[in-house]
Amino acid sequence: MKAKTRRILFSLLLVLVLIAVAAVMMVIGRGHTVYFDNKTLEDYQGQEYKAFDKVLVTVKGEQVAKLAKRDRGMAIWIGQNFKMILEVTREKGGESEIHEIDLKLPYSVDGIVINLPALLAGLPEEAWFSEFVPAVTEEPVEEVPGEGDEFGLGLEGELGLEEGLGDI
Amino acid sequence: MITGYVLPPVLKKMGFPRLIISGFLLVLFILTPFVGVDLPTQITNIINRFSWNAVLVLAMVPMIHAGCGLNFGLPLAIICGLLGGTLSIQLGFTGTMSFVMAIVIATPFAVLLGGGYGLLLNRIKGGEMMIATYVGFSVMSFFCMMWLLLPYSSPTMVYGLSGNGLRPTISLDGFYNQVLAKILHIKIGNIEIPTGSLLVFALLAFLMWAFLHTKTGTAMTAVGSNAAFARAAGINVDRTRMLSVIMSTWLGAMGILMYQQGFGFIQLYNAPNNLTMPTVAAILIGGASVNKASIPHVIIGTILFQGIVTMTPTVMNSAIHMDMSEVIRIIVSQGMILYALTRKTEGAK
Amino acid sequence: MNGKKNIPAGKRLLELVRNNAVPIMFIIICAVFIPMAGFSPSYLLNEIVTRMGRNLFLVLCLLFPIMAGMGLNFAMTLGAMGAEIAVILVADWQIWGIPGVVLAMILSIPFSALLGFICGTLQNMAKGREMITSYIINFFINGWYQLIVLYIMGAVIPIIHASIMLPRGYGIRNTVSLLNMRQCLDDLLAIRVAGVKIPVFTFILVGLLCLFIVWFRRTKLGQDMRAVGQDMEVAKAAGINVDRTRIISVVMSTVCAGFGMVIYLQNIGNLPTYTGHAQIGMFCIAALLVGGASVEKAGIGNAFLGVILFHMMFIVAPGAGAFITGDSMVGEYFRVFLSYGVITLALIMYEAKKRMAKSKAGQELAEAQVRKEDA
Repeated sequence: MKAKTRRILFSLLLVLVLIAVAAVMMVIGRGHTVYFDNKTLEDYQGQEYKAFDKVLVTVKGEQVAKLAKRDRGMAIWIGQNFKMILEVTREKGGESEIHEIDLKLPYSVDGIVINLPALLAGLPEEAWFSEFVPAVTEEPVEEVPGEGDEFGLGLEGELGLEEGLGDI
Repeated sequence: MITGYVLPPVLKKMGFPRLIISGFLLVLFILTPFVGVDLPTQITNIINRFSWNAVLVLAMVPMIHAGCGLNFGLPLAIICGLLGGTLSIQLGFTGTMSFVMAIVIATPFAVLLGGGYGLLLNRIKGGEMMIATYVGFSVMSFFCMMWLLLPYSSPTMVYGLSGNGLRPTISLDGFYNQVLAKILHIKIGNIEIPTGSLLVFALLAFLMWAFLHTKTGTAMTAVGSNAAFARAAGINVDRTRMLSVIMSTWLGAMGILMYQQGFGFIQLYNAPNNLTMPTVAAILIGGASVNKASIPHVIIGTILFQGIVTMTPTVMNSAIHMDMSEVIRIIVSQGMILYALTRKTEGAK
Repeated sequence: MNGKKNIPAGKRLLELVRNNAVPIMFIIICAVFIPMAGFSPSYLLNEIVTRMGRNLFLVLCLLFPIMAGMGLNFAMTLGAMGAEIAVILVADWQIWGIPGVVLAMILSIPFSALLGFICGTLQNMAKGREMITSYIINFFINGWYQLIVLYIMGAVIPIIHASIMLPRGYGIRNTVSLLNMRQCLDDLLAIRVAGVKIPVFTFILVGLLCLFIVWFRRTKLGQDMRAVGQDMEVAKAAGINVDRTRIISVVMSTVCAGFGMVIYLQNIGNLPTYTGHAQIGMFCIAALLVGGASVEKAGIGNAFLGVILFHMMFIVAPGAGAFITGDSMVGEYFRVFLSYGVITLALIMYEAKKRMAKSKAGQELAEAQVRKEDA
């Protein structure tokens, strides 16, 4: 009897550990796509924040974008503590300055657009942050699998060898 | 079974899954007028598809009777039929003659391949079904190569460009498309009946019934229900089983020719595989079990299964604009086979 | 047998060849085909190493049911389906990279375990025809899988991203991109040796499973399983709960297959939603058998050798077919034929052996009877 209780406890513990690991994975593994705009922010509380001449964006030691005026770059990031290094040249021919940026990404947003001039000017979040909404494009109608076979053939074709042979 | 307590004996005898399937079909029928589907067209379709498939389902009977289990090796039989059909066209026969010749040519193949298959099954008694499945696959994939390599040359069958290798689908227009269906074809209102095909099936079914009542036939049943007892009674078990396998194979070859005759196309390469599960499921839905099958099982099963196959897409599509027929077919047919396999078979050792 | 020492060397060699007929046949096939296909050695090596990382885990999970005497588990596909559902959800929640893989593995456990339990229970109801039953369960559960993925996902189970959904608003697309998960396990600790990328971490996972199998064989449960595999009646008499042991072996196999499928999918980098699992069972079984395993006996070595030989054949067959007949399709069909053929052969050998053993036992019994009467 004692052994049985111990076994149940042990399996319960195992389940709990797995759930805990899964929960941690859900937090640290959440992927985001971060877009950076080097775009002039017009008229934020009566002020204008000019786009930079050139910005080099480095994420995880890799240069992911080289932005001229009005350019947009992107990077993928796993987790919520986003870090990037910006090498900014404000005016043409000017000296470049390096900024290390730490940002907290909201968990529920897939795509995040950051306006770099506003961010570097130290404006509040609402000024530089916006959510990326993917453009709805007319997509070609995809054939729905497993439907509409007039002759009832291929219904047991699950072992149909034509498909997926190349990649095993 | 839990349901046994509340169901009258007749329904109990039908078995739980069969009851669900019949009920489902009944609901489909009742729904038909309400969702705006033309009932006569549906009935014509069911009768037509019955005439295509019934002989294939009949081919299950001898092997089940002799205790060889469900013939998952149906592709082997179908290959024999395909050889008959393609060779008959290759040799230049047309019209009704091409159908007759297809049967004639398929017969020796069925006897030879069926004989070999029977020999094999006799050596592995008890494991027939799994091995049958894979023998079917192996033969089918072997013939996939053969369709490309054999020196067929009839321009209606080979690939147009390269001139060698058979096409996956061959039209039977001008050959044996509808040759049986056209005989004594009846048209009442919107319902069409392919009398000729049904008559051929009736003939084969009758012959099968008669055979099962001959001395050899009863011996076959004896072998199926209790091999040890049959051996003690002086029956040559191996020979009887072999005979049943050859009969199954020949009927399967006939069956695919009947199917092509109604469908209008020969389908090669991996197509034989597509008919195995529906055929096995059909006879089980009709009431057969792994070691018991009769002609009524064939008829009821084919009607029920083909009824579901034809009715679900149209009725469901008109009723809820969602075609789940494919999924339903898979679940119904595989569920039925699974049910038969997991049931304690009566008379098993 | 302990009389082995007295057998002359020639006979022993013959015995060796006969016992390993299938691997030897495949070695010969590969040896003939490789020059015909004309691939460079580094390409071949690269492919083989990739495919080993991709498939070994899946092949190894077949060992548990064989241990319990339930034959080749055609229903390992169930684990693959469980994993696919998990992967779809993880892709929709946008959990990327290694955390995504780990989450998919954990998430697949309940699905695979449930399916494995159903499978094991049904197989217990069909003792003596476990294999055909597992084979049909495959198709049956595939029907339910399609029902869930094609109709319930998006309609009942919330799916957030339209990018993985069919345009009609419910159901999952034919392929789900796993771009952000692609090869993240393989790339971890990966090393390159002479242009061949070795996915070290994936191999470590495979190694862990091997260690687990070796350890498991020695545990009480593992011993029970082998006892059940040898003789169910004897095991029962010894007080082993046969049905439970058999179910556990299938559940273990299915859960491992789920993990294996996640590894497989992260390597491929996309999920063919409706066809991804269809071939898995057959190819893994064929690979194991090519490695010299039989229906009742298989080891880790068989899995390794089998994956190498089978995939080598698979890579070179189309090229060789084109070389011989001028048509690469012949080669494609030939490799499929070989896969089916090797399974058929193994099944036939198994059943024939079983029957021979049975009649031999009967004969011995009769002889003993006669001797008793004589005495």
